[in-house]
Amino acid sequence: MTPRPYEGIALCCPVTEPYVRRSPHGAAWFLARVLRRLLDAGGMAKTDIDGLCLSSFTLVPDTAVAFTQYVGLSPRCLEWLPVGGACGPIALRRAARAVQAGDADVVACIAGDTANETSFRNLVADFSSFARTAAYPYGAGGPNANFAMIADAYMRATGATRKHFGKLAVAQRANARRNPLALLRDELTLEQYLAARTIAEPLHLFDCVMPCAGADGFLVMAEDRARRHRLPFVGILGAIERHNAFPDDPVQRRGGWVIDRDTLWAQAGIGPGDVQCVQTYDDYPVICMLQFEGLGLCDECAGPAFVRRHSFTIDGTWPHNTGGGQLSMGQAGAAGGYLGLIEAVRQLLGQATGRQVANPRHALVSGFGMINYDRGLCTSAAVLGRA
Amino acid sequence: MMRLQRCAACGAAQYPPREICGTCLSDCIIWETANTLAACVLATTRLHHTNEPRFHAQLPITLGLVQFAEGPVAMCFLSRTVAPGDTVQVHIGADDLLEAK
Repeated sequence: MTPRPYEGIALCCPVTEPYVRRSPHGAAWFLARVLRRLLDAGGMAKTDIDGLCLSSFTLVPDTAVAFTQYVGLSPRCLEWLPVGGACGPIALRRAARAVQAGDADVVACIAGDTANETSFRNLVADFSSFARTAAYPYGAGGPNANFAMIADAYMRATGATRKHFGKLAVAQRANARRNPLALLRDELTLEQYLAARTIAEPLHLFDCVMPCAGADGFLVMAEDRARRHRLPFVGILGAIERHNAFPDDPVQRRGGWVIDRDTLWAQAGIGPGDVQCVQTYDDYPVICMLQFEGLGLCDECAGPAFVRRHSFTIDGTWPHNTGGGQLSMGQAGAAGGYLGLIEAVRQLLGQATGRQVANPRHALVSGFGMINYDRGLCTSAAVLGRA
Repeated sequence: MMRLQRCAACGAAQYPPREICGTCLSDCIIWETANTLAACVLATTRLHHTNEPRFHAQLPITLGLVQFAEGPVAMCFLSRTVAPGDTVQVHIGADDLLEAK
């Protein structure tokens, strides 16, 4: 069955609590700061927010429920979305449907985390029951180990080399140098990328995101309400999610996008060639290439040729991760699942100061998350359009 | 020694272990025991970084994903000379960690 369109829905007020390498604050502080920013940006009171979508790793033992009491919200619609890097487009879907159905009028979507000396280790050591028993005991590499093996398989299947991964990382750093919100803004050359220290072969330092603290958020409401409040907004042309796709693939070579991309583009009424900026989930450059292939930007196994052909910079062909992506902005836990969506909205609203893509009409955003054992289980994507 | 779960109802083998068959949802799970199990190496990495101090002295650590003839895929330690495509014999070592020789 073809999903109903997301018509009449406004996505607005992209906000960020700036990322920091480490913080003494708890996750709730970051999430609450973003809530404050959303209220300010939307010109609203807490009582106007009657829907909440929340994602965080370090909020434990709390969930979205506890957060409502922490910040004094009384929503009539509540989504706790522990889907990691896929949470942005998924929160957007849930919020849009809630507004369309009349279950909420204004939904605040928020994701974020804190970071300290032990938070990342604690997270990966006890990430899931399968990881605890069958992955982490083997050297405690965490996601680096998983993605190293996925990258190894991808390189042997497609002929991709470190230079392809490096081209993406270097282009993102060039984009980040124009983004004051990016934590990593020093120049990065391909030579520096190739000479970096080894983390988990074939991955080296600049293939890996830097964990940090921070949070992002946006509001979802009916278009007429956004107009009434004079809030600039973008529309949702299509959105998909999938979990545990292709369980019989021995090593992850594709994600759920492959199943759902035809639905996405059909719903959007445009094709990959009609988007002016692309924001993929870049916990490692190899995963960007899985998304290029999975979302139909190029054919299966054609990722290396696609990367060779394009520049991925703000002023070049296929502007990609135009704020720098997680590789240069930092990975603020679950906010990594919002970062690309927030950047796409800023680009479409003309708010990407200093790094604005020329006149974008459509943007593609994609998410990927949750290495439960040997692969990422959650995939999502959305096509957004200027209103 | 090596143990793998098999479902008594549908015959599916599975790993990581669980209380329910992930294929047919039966709870009739049998542990099959063998000295070693043959597996094909799918992908490898060598860790130069670990999140646990207890592994520091062993770095770099060679790891891989291996697929048993029975179907399931396991992450395990590998000897350094193993490459993707090789067949290895997997067992649980004295330290309770999966090792391949």
